[in-house]
Amino acid sequence: MPVPFDVQLSSDETKVTIRGSLDINGAPALADEIDKVVATRPSKVVVDLSELDLIDSSGVAALVKLYKGVRGGGGAFRISGARDQPLAIFKLLRMDKVFNL
Amino acid sequence: MVATIRLSVPGALRYRPIAVRVVAEAARLVSGSSPRDPKNPTIDPLAHDIRHPFDTAVVSAFMEIFNNIAIHAYQRKGAGTIEIEITPSLDAIVIEVKDDGRPFDIDNVVPLSTDLDEEALPEGGMGIHIAKTMLDEMTYEPGPPNIWRLCKRLPATQVAVGRS
Repeated sequence: MPVPFDVQLSSDETKVTIRGSLDINGAPALADEIDKVVATRPSKVVVDLSELDLIDSSGVAALVKLYKGVRGGGGAFRISGARDQPLAIFKLLRMDKVFNL
Repeated sequence: MVATIRLSVPGALRYRPIAVRVVAEAARLVSGSSPRDPKNPTIDPLAHDIRHPFDTAVVSAFMEIFNNIAIHAYQRKGAGTIEIEITPSLDAIVIEVKDDGRPFDIDNVVPLSTDLDEEALPEGGMGIHIAKTMLDEMTYEPGPPNIWRLCKRLPATQVAVGRS
């Protein structure tokens, strides 16, 4: 079973890849990782959602928390690869404009 | 032909994937969409692959309602069941979701601001808004039992011709 998410740090960006389903069952575990990422005050975070099939409002809340944490620390935030149901949810919530999707 | 699918699951979040799977497949009966990716026929047909807008809407709404019941009605204790009755027809789906937990105060849900900007991004309270917006009709009748009724219609242009 694939790891639901992983964080890769490189010299110029922090890449967070989230796979499968980001929902109420998995969002709490991601919240811990989010705190760790934000604590490093990254200059650039890219969230790769190309392998994300499903998201619910808890998952969105987790991404918003990451976004606010990164932006609050002066970093840049980008979502890449959002598709299907997750993309439909971002559009419904009008977050596609904020996330530049 | 209209048939009804019934499922009863414990009212805890860990059972949500089972219920979602059933709802997704029922939605596909209406939308006619296939879980198989024609470009990648070896892909696991049980994988979440919800692409058709109808399926997306139905599954999204259902997930939020299930969350709501497990968290608010059963207060994350899972001490109850969630009864799901799904009626797919040629061009619509009706899903009734019943629980015996604490009634939800739907009138006290803070409406989501339509003017979202960077500072105003919400970190919660989006579930009911998502469900309501994704569906054509959504009603809630506090009980016991509490009954949610979710209805989504397939746009006329998408109803397959000659499909039973």
